[in-house]
Amino acid sequence: MITWFKLATRNLFRNGRRSLFTVMAIGLGFAAVNALGGFTAYIFTSLEDSYIHIQGNGHMSIFKKGFLEEGKLDPTRYLLNEEDVRVIDEVLQAHPEIRISTPELNISGLVSNGEVSTIFLASGRVASKVDVIRSHSRTKVGNMRLFDGDPMTDDKPNGLGMSQGLADQLRFKQGDTVVVMAPTVSGQINALDGQMLQTFSSPVEALEDKLMLVSLEFAQNLYDTTSVDRINVLLNDGLLTQPMRATLQSELAAHGLDVEIKTWNELSTFYTKVKNMFDVIFLFAFLIVFTIVVMSVVNTVGMAIMERTREIGTLRALGVKRRGIVGLFALESMLLGLIGSLVGVLLTLAVWSSIATFEPTWIPPQITRRIPLEVYLVPKEMLWSLLALMVLSLLAASLPARKAARMEIVGALGHV
Amino acid sequence: MNTITSIGTAPLIELRRATKHYQIGENPVIALKGIDLIIQTREFVAIWGPSGSGKSTLCNLIGMLDSPTTGSVLIDGQEVNDLSDNARSELRNRMIGFVFQNFNLVPVLSALENVMLPLQIAGASSSVARQRALERLAEVGLEKHVAHRPAKLSGGQQQRVAIARALVTDPALVIADEPTANLDSGNARRIIELMLNINASHGTAFVFSTHDQRLLESVKRRVLMQDGEIGSDSQPERPAAQTRIAGSRP
Ligand SMILES: Nc1ncnc2c1ncn2[C@@H]1O[C@H](COP(=O)(O)OP(=O)(O)O)[C@@H](O)[C@H]1O
Ligand SMILES: [Mg+2]
Repeated sequence: MITWFKLATRNLFRNGRRSLFTVMAIGLGFAAVNALGGFTAYIFTSLEDSYIHIQGNGHMSIFKKGFLEEGKLDPTRYLLNEEDVRVIDEVLQAHPEIRISTPELNISGLVSNGEVSTIFLASGRVASKVDVIRSHSRTKVGNMRLFDGDPMTDDKPNGLGMSQGLADQLRFKQGDTVVVMAPTVSGQINALDGQMLQTFSSPVEALEDKLMLVSLEFAQNLYDTTSVDRINVLLNDGLLTQPMRATLQSELAAHGLDVEIKTWNELSTFYTKVKNMFDVIFLFAFLIVFTIVVMSVVNTVGMAIMERTREIGTLRALGVKRRGIVGLFALESMLLGLIGSLVGVLLTLAVWSSIATFEPTWIPPQITRRIPLEVYLVPKEMLWSLLALMVLSLLAASLPARKAARMEIVGALGHV
Repeated sequence: MNTITSIGTAPLIELRRATKHYQIGENPVIALKGIDLIIQTREFVAIWGPSGSGKSTLCNLIGMLDSPTTGSVLIDGQEVNDLSDNARSELRNRMIGFVFQNFNLVPVLSALENVMLPLQIAGASSSVARQRALERLAEVGLEKHVAHRPAKLSGGQQQRVAIARALVTDPALVIADEPTANLDSGNARRIIELMLNINASHGTAFVFSTHDQRLLESVKRRVLMQDGEIGSDSQPERPAAQTRIAGSRP
């Protein structure tokens, strides 16, 4: 075995330049796939973290059954009333895996500066609880201030935030009094004064001139209700999302509550779309790398076989079996794959460390602020790439190697 | 472990009406026209004749590097055509050593590693292979050059390495097809002497081919090839030898 290993490595060095090119092709391919993979991991983690923590939605949300389908037309019919919320809280209290839960009521209506008014959409939340959820963010963005002005706090129930576009449209500045109007659950028009605390950027461009942030109390007062439309739940561990959903679902049903629970990835359609898109991009990148690796290995091994035909004949004459010849070239190409992958690991580390050093920033889609661009190190992915590239090199070599093994010995020996 | 594999009563090599045809485009080339030949263990056979007479083709059939178009080749009584490629490879490794006209050493391996190769193909451990290879290299007078790569050796030295490699498995037969064609006359003579000495001391049978008549002086059995046929055989069949060998191994 050691002899064959020796033979394989020395032969790789015999045509060092050609081997180097192949190794570099594999290494660059490896680095490309893994840097992209690391970037993808960053994007997925960021999107997940953004939805769960930064936007304060938690891992899952509990709704009255039908709210998501019918609630758009008739939201008030599908709200969770005080009694529902009390029962749900009771059930949630019993689970130490739940870090925190917080009610939310989304409202819509008109917002006015006294001269003109326009439509708004607002979520009414409990600021202190949202802050707790946000504090568990694992990303750099989570530590950034994503608004201008003062934070929302529980002691300012009339304080409100506005997307920058909406504030610009109505020429609101921090500290201004804002008139908010909406029909109550019983159908009367209600109006409340709020105080402008902050502006933020909408996560969805189309809503930049419509979004508002109010306290739960403010939203409930405006709608003249004590109900909420959902309860957001943050778990200690995101991996528990699915099992917890099932547990809560059955426990709540046992308490006679007709509710449905949606997890963060079901609710964040944006995440799913982006994930699908990146999966396709990743597939393309992998196919390109796949093609380059296969082509360069086939070329390298093919050339080596041409040059070493007489050596193959000699080895066969000395008693090496056909599978031995295949094995020799397979070993050589696997070494190429291995060395190439190790070069790829180094290149990936170089990309990763230079990004960690220079901390570049970018403005990703759906965010209107510069945020750090990151590439994560995903060792598991690198290990898989290494195995995949070695197997790929092996398979790519097996075709020419098989042909080499089938050569007539006499013909091979006479080859010059 | 200095055993010679062929211990049966069957001759070491037997060709029966062996022919070899080649097709070059439209024209058939008959390289061998029905060869009958018996080679016994411990024999030293020179195959000589002009270029193109079929010497190499004959050597290749004897060495199982090629198979006859018709007729049969038997090694130790075993019909070669009945063997699988794997079985032939094993048999070659175990029973036959090869010395080639252009040496055919593996360029990336040292002299020692080249000589170790046949044993390692057979699955011997490195230490055993190294020990035996060193002995063989000493026998061919190259103990000082064991670490050299082939490119650092002269033609004569390379051919000695090749002979050491051919002998390292203690084969019953060494086939040397024009081993001296790429050597000057002095080196050629020394290579033939070396082979004769090994034949005398170890009893290894040799089949070597040459187109150079001057190298035949000390060889008793000479097979002349002419146009794909045996023109003459100085000691054909040798039934006496067969009896002697059979008698010497009860
Ligand atoms: N692979 C081949 N294809 C076609 N003809 C061949 C081949 N090998 C040998 N021959 C022909 O067979 C004849 C015998 O060749 P060979 O055995 O090499 O002779 P020698 O070794 O005595 O010079 C020659 O006429 C040669 O041209
Ligand atoms: Mg010849």
